[in-house]
Amino acid sequence: MSVQDSLETVNWDVSEEAHITVDNELCVTCEDKPCLHLCPAQCFDYQEDQEGGIYFAYEPCIECGACMVFCANDPEKGAVSWSKSEGGKGVEFDFG
Amino acid sequence: MTDVDFDVVVVGSGRAGTAAAYKLATEGLDVALVERAKQPGMKNITGGVLYGQILDELVPEFPEEAPLERHVVEHNIKLLHGDAEVSIGYRDLSLREEPNYTLMLGKFDQWFVERAVDEGTIFLPETTVKDVSQHSDRAVVHTDRPNGDLSCHAVIGADGVNTTVGRATGIQRTMRNEDMALSVKKVLDVGRDTIDERFNLDSDEGAAYIYTGYPEDAPTIGYFIYTFEEYLSVGAVGGLETLRWLGEQGYGGTGTPLYGLLEEFMELDTVRPYVKGDALEEYQGILVPEHSYDTLPDRYDRRVALVGDAAGLVLNKGYTFRGLDYGIKSGLEAAEAAIERTRDGNWDAFGRRYDERLENSYVLEDMKQHRHLPEFLKNERMYGAYPGIAIETLRGMYSAGSDAEGLTWKQAFRAFQQSDAGVTDLLKDGFRGFRSL
Repeated sequence: MSVQDSLETVNWDVSEEAHITVDNELCVTCEDKPCLHLCPAQCFDYQEDQEGGIYFAYEPCIECGACMVFCANDPEKGAVSWSKSEGGKGVEFDFG
Repeated sequence: MTDVDFDVVVVGSGRAGTAAAYKLATEGLDVALVERAKQPGMKNITGGVLYGQILDELVPEFPEEAPLERHVVEHNIKLLHGDAEVSIGYRDLSLREEPNYTLMLGKFDQWFVERAVDEGTIFLPETTVKDVSQHSDRAVVHTDRPNGDLSCHAVIGADGVNTTVGRATGIQRTMRNEDMALSVKKVLDVGRDTIDERFNLDSDEGAAYIYTGYPEDAPTIGYFIYTFEEYLSVGAVGGLETLRWLGEQGYGGTGTPLYGLLEEFMELDTVRPYVKGDALEEYQGILVPEHSYDTLPDRYDRRVALVGDAAGLVLNKGYTFRGLDYGIKSGLEAAEAAIERTRDGNWDAFGRRYDERLENSYVLEDMKQHRHLPEFLKNERMYGAYPGIAIETLRGMYSAGSDAEGLTWKQAFRAFQQSDAGVTDLLKDGFRGFRSL
């Protein structure tokens, strides 16, 4: 089963404002791009026409925080700006 | 005394924060419980068993009242190696005397918050904390609500592994890959009877399964299966550094991410019978703190205490995870530290006093006793060579083709000789394992 299929089971009340943003200029120098395989919701997609090759979508984020640790907190990366989603918005789990 | 909105503001309504609020409210303090989700539990995920003794002391009627799933009477550790598996199962009726349960946080946290509100807690949902400031005579919790600043004597940060309170106050150091494990989990709707059959369980009995050894030699990667009343949860967990490395190495030629490993795990011949059927109800992901006692992050400032996952109070013991009860206990210690301050008014001592209490509690005693365990569990021999030795030995004992081989110890020795592990490794690891458990 693909992650996209798995995500079909998840509910969101999507905020109009992104709680996570990506500065693509910093993706240009990032060689290993761990976001492509570490984000469990595949919010990061490799697209050649994007600067640094990274397309980011905050909408399917399941709010685990991994990208804060492997990108935002890494002094050699830091493309991700991370915060918690606004009150009442974002992912809503039924079976935590 | 200074005029404030609340005596204590608790950020986060998981078990740790709610236990703190419940205790504070029963002692008559003015307490606010701030939650960013619409309802308690909506943002919360667990992959563990509630060891409920500490909750029993706080709310003795909880086994009857709380929405629990199954009473855990069986634990299994399974070592995978290729197509084979060797397992240790422990089933004990005396475990029925202990209040240990699987639970779903959506239901459980809702119940617990309702109890805290009954005791007088003010619950503020749909409220995300943006910052926390400490002043000479108060602390202020800044939220994303209009006019959403909440002044108080003390703040309890129970806002989970990615704690805003810890980061905004500068209490917690910046977390790196080495500090964290990632977990993904699937909740499967298989039905009560099917669970009872597949896991050999009666009515409300539950079982917990922990797996390691897949893929071979990948340290820190593990899996779990827990039984709920009508659902199963099956998940994978791995240190971020190992997962980054697996991706970089292009493991299996393609770079298998954690959710890919979970899919492969569920298809293993030894696992599929438990989880088969197209029954996915929900997919989830969460970070899990992976500290040892010696690498725990700081957890307090003058008027701020971090509790539960926010303080990294989780221990992977290899055979079980502790965290739910550590959260509750740390929340209660923070509450006790606040109750003490209402007597002497010295709120600047709140954080330090919490830390002293926690240091003397069973939570840190436990983590101290297992202080070498996290390092031990990063040893790749635990995930390849040793399961291999065990399985080759058993294969020698039970495979008809090797009847003539004779004594078991000979087969064990041969399996050991054929593995990558050396005698020194075995002795060292044996000593380390003994010391850490």
